Amino acid sequence: MKVLVIEDEKDLLLGIQSALWQEGYVCEAAQRMSEASEKVGLYDYDCILLDLNLPDGNGLKILEELKQKGKTDGIIILTARNSPEDKVAGLNLGADDYLAKPFYMPELIARVSAIIRRKKFDGSNIVTFNEITINLPGKLVSVNNKAIELTPMEFSLLAFLLANKNRVVSKNAIAEHLSGDNADLLDRYDFIYTHVKNLKKKLTEAGSRDYVKSVYGLGYKFTT
Amino acid sequence: MRLLQVSLRGSLLFSLMMILVSIPVSFFTIRALLNEEVDESIAAQADQFIQHIQSFEYLDDLETDLKVLDKLSSNIHITPSIGVVHTNYRTLNLYDSVDHENKPFRRFETGVIIKGKPYKLIVRMSLLETNDLVKAIGLVQLAVSVILVLGLLFWNRFLSRRLWKPFYKTLEQLKAYELDKNETVMTEESNITEFNDLNKTVSHLAARNHEVFTQQKEFIENASHELQTPIAIFQSKLDTLMQSPNMTQLEADTIMELESTAQRMAKLNKNLLLLSRIDNEQFLSKEEIELSELIQNQVRILTPFAGPAGIRISTRLEKLTIITNRTLLEVLMTNLLHNAIRHSPRDSDITLELEGSKLHVANTGQGKALDLDKITRRFKKESEDHNSTGLGLAIVRKICDNSHYELSYDFKDAKHVFTVDFQA
Repeated sequence: MKVLVIEDEKDLLLGIQSALWQEGYVCEAAQRMSEASEKVGLYDYDCILLDLNLPDGNGLKILEELKQKGKTDGIIILTARNSPEDKVAGLNLGADDYLAKPFYMPELIARVSAIIRRKKFDGSNIVTFNEITINLPGKLVSVNNKAIELTPMEFSLLAFLLANKNRVVSKNAIAEHLSGDNADLLDRYDFIYTHVKNLKKKLTEAGSRDYVKSVYGLGYKFTT
Repeated sequence: MRLLQVSLRGSLLFSLMMILVSIPVSFFTIRALLNEEVDESIAAQADQFIQHIQSFEYLDDLETDLKVLDKLSSNIHITPSIGVVHTNYRTLNLYDSVDHENKPFRRFETGVIIKGKPYKLIVRMSLLETNDLVKAIGLVQLAVSVILVLGLLFWNRFLSRRLWKPFYKTLEQLKAYELDKNETVMTEESNITEFNDLNKTVSHLAARNHEVFTQQKEFIENASHELQTPIAIFQSKLDTLMQSPNMTQLEADTIMELESTAQRMAKLNKNLLLLSRIDNEQFLSKEEIELSELIQNQVRILTPFAGPAGIRISTRLEKLTIITNRTLLEVLMTNLLHNAIRHSPRDSDITLELEGSKLHVANTGQGKALDLDKITRRFKKESEDHNSTGLGLAIVRKICDNSHYELSYDFKDAKHVFTVDFQA
């Protein structure tokens, strides 16, 4: 699975790359428009992370180039200029997703994984991990081919943790993923703990191994 | 009082006084002048008469003739006099036997010596015509005065319409001027130097203010944008740190605190950006929105976050359709609800009532009334809550101000009630 990260901030680029490597993606980088457009012209990527604000031009040009060449690489726009116009312009030019800076790394990885699944396994978007099978578009989960019933929150949580398997996912990142802007209402009530507990219970009761581990003080980890 | 009225009042008062003074003055002056004329004419007549009589001194029975003359003539009387007669003029009212009324006359009296004998000569002249003349002059003067006053009034209107027009136009523009909306004040070229100076100064001042204002707005937006990337780097580094195995409890806690702080920064930044976007009018598209539906939807989304603390949200909503920007309306509702949830104690009720054009959001909270002005100011927090950015209610106020909704606050039955009137 090949990902191209177009981002001019070296520190952020390295952070994204190392996180993607951990998840088993092959990751290439471009810090300038010229470099990016060369790579995009030469190779096909499963997913391109595109920063719009590049020192030598607007990242939207890359989108135009891709569109002209008829390439179907999945594209996620990363931008600090989080304006509705940019978002609309980007999506209109064929971007698949839009992520405003700053973001949690697990969120980025979940989005990358979602894009790749959608592009690659169009129609039969099913993730299988050992005894667990997840039908992403249908929001169905089964353990050993036996369907289990999860709340929408529990489903999102499982998909999120699975996309970030073997990485520690912080409680903050989970809260933001599950509740967006309402995340700041959560921490008073151990909201996440409750959902994780219920999810683990439902999975183990259906005969699954206990993959979701609590990492004390930080968050949770889907361990394989 | 308007400047023009003041100056008009002055000039009107002055003209009226002048007219009031000038009418008797001119009346008496003209009358005196006319009397003088009459006197001169009577005197000339008397002189002529005396000369005439004296040229008949050779006649023997002149005395008798004079008696006859005295009887026949009505305007000239000559009678022998006993003492010395002093020359004098007098105005008299004499009975006119023809018209049966008293009529004003001017009488000249003098003494003459004819054939060595003293006589008293009286010549008189009717003043009726002179009085008519005085009246006519008076009327003309009155007419002129009326025309003068009317003329002044018209002139004044003309002045205010034409001459002062640029001034009033500038004034109107200034009244309607809003720093965050208008770029400058549009003034009209005038041929009056003072007005042009005023206009130039006003335009310059307004343009300068707007420029500074815009720069400041842009600065906030740019600063917020520029901070996003460093925060993103910060978060990505924390994520990398988190993946390292064998972390001590202290390290884990520190990382979590750092991440929460980064989140706070990100949120603060996001809210600042939102505020400056509202300021910069980036939410222009409007649509028809059924408010009660939107509120129900928000309540549905937020109930899971309120429920664990035993906070119940109840609604009583009438239908209300408004035309506005959906994003802003959603932010407004979310912030009001967040505020209510965040400041509600455990096991309490939040009530939402939409009546007519007014939405009331009520929650139990600290048992004292709040100062709306204070709590809707940026970064003025009443609570110690670290998750609150101190911008939520400032955003609520900004959206209300921008959309012309009226935001009010009331503390009733130990409940904080925020009210938004959507048709204020």
